[in-house]
Amino acid sequence: MRTVIIGAGQAGRRCAEALRELDAAAGILLLGEEAHPPYDRPPLSKAVLLGTDPGNGLFVRAAEFYAERRIDLRLGTRVAAIHPAARAVETAAGERIGWDHLVLATGARARRLRIPGAEDPRVLTLRTLEDAEGLKARLAARPRLAVVGGGLIGLEVAASARQLGCAVSVLEAADRLMARCVPPAIGARYAALHRGHGVDLHLSCALRAIEPTPDGGLLLIGDGARIAADLVVAGIGGVPETALAEAAGIAVQDGILTDAQGRTSIPGIFAAGEVARFPHPFWGGRAMRLEAWQVAQTQPAAVARAILGMDAPPDEVPWHWTDQFGWNLQVLGDPDPSLTLVQRAEGEHRLTAIALDAAGRARGAVLINNGRDATPCRRLIAGGKVLDAAALADAGTPLRSFL
Amino acid sequence: MADWHRVAAEAELKPETPLGIRIGDVQVAVVRLADGIFAINDVCTHEFALLSEGFCEDGKLECPLHQACFDIRTGRALSEPAEVDVATYPTKVENGAVFVQV
Repeated sequence: MRTVIIGAGQAGRRCAEALRELDAAAGILLLGEEAHPPYDRPPLSKAVLLGTDPGNGLFVRAAEFYAERRIDLRLGTRVAAIHPAARAVETAAGERIGWDHLVLATGARARRLRIPGAEDPRVLTLRTLEDAEGLKARLAARPRLAVVGGGLIGLEVAASARQLGCAVSVLEAADRLMARCVPPAIGARYAALHRGHGVDLHLSCALRAIEPTPDGGLLLIGDGARIAADLVVAGIGGVPETALAEAAGIAVQDGILTDAQGRTSIPGIFAAGEVARFPHPFWGGRAMRLEAWQVAQTQPAAVARAILGMDAPPDEVPWHWTDQFGWNLQVLGDPDPSLTLVQRAEGEHRLTAIALDAAGRARGAVLINNGRDATPCRRLIAGGKVLDAAALADAGTPLRSFL
Repeated sequence: MADWHRVAAEAELKPETPLGIRIGDVQVAVVRLADGIFAINDVCTHEFALLSEGFCEDGKLECPLHQACFDIRTGRALSEPAEVDVATYPTKVENGAVFVQV
């Protein structure tokens, strides 16, 4: 039985690895469009830009890993079409490759600005290692950088560029930072962090246009602000790479629609990682498409199990993180702004905040420089125990005692 | 040359409460477990973080940044995202003081 995986990013790699772990005999072909063996993307906006050692955080596996595991890794290979009836894919070079199971791990591309002036070559996005290396080279000249988008990628790029000595502006259309993932109180702390490091932060500032200036720079025209820059990076989210799936007649709706184990609308074809929109148990089975390291790490293993006729692994509490200006932020579960946020401050720059629902059950948590609390928080969220908010607010009482 | 370095009074080391110390250029996490005192390199092999600032339970130390887990007795990387083990260092207790050989 041969499985062909389209996309050699983190999700594709994890699916291949899991298949091999579970089935010594599986035929595994991993097709990557990029020239590099699989890499994880979190270091791109931090260690790669800063030129610091990413450890094994970038290329997680050694080059020989794939051959050792008999994973047939073909790089620089673009798939042009999927032929579901024939159970084959066709590469851009015209090769037809047959499969018994097909996994689409095509990921997402960076969303591009759609405003006048956005086509200027100095308006960049960050998605690939080439993007990161190109941006790093440009930052070496210390340009005035304008970052569009106050989400995770935008703020990580802003922090890295500031650390490299660039003048940095951030424009965010919402009235707070990281609005999609942390409560306002946490976003406010990060606004203060960035401003404290000299970032020129513009909230409630939707970008309307980018214009070249007579001095060879750029002018960003935002709501209530005009910002001069030499370089622009847009960090405004990702667009799932669904074109192949759509052309093959697979059901797509802002992501490839799948069940909990990645089965698409066509039998034998699966989707893994951030391209997949799947019913998430943490949100009561609501269909979610999550752009997070954790999803690319664990969901493809569930897909591998489905291919082999095995059940899904146990659910995990959703988790993601961001590192900015030396601060580590971790978000567990869903700390929705509508919930009651219990803050456990441990010193000025160390905090665990737990979001309780109306019944007093932990639904989410946010940790600033306090990763020690991640596992206890994960257990509190998974356990569903009713907690006493006043007792929980006492940072002197270890979280373990609430488990 | 690996030398013995005094790192703490034995009484200061509480069970499963890591002590992070620097010996020369080496960051070391010293942890008391039920069966003895162990020392491992304190720096996560995934990305830079001090393991001694992480969650400690069942003989394991968890990286505070990305939850990679290491066996305190053997240094083994037990869970992703870490793939590479951390070094271990011999420890001894003499006259109520804890020593680590680095």
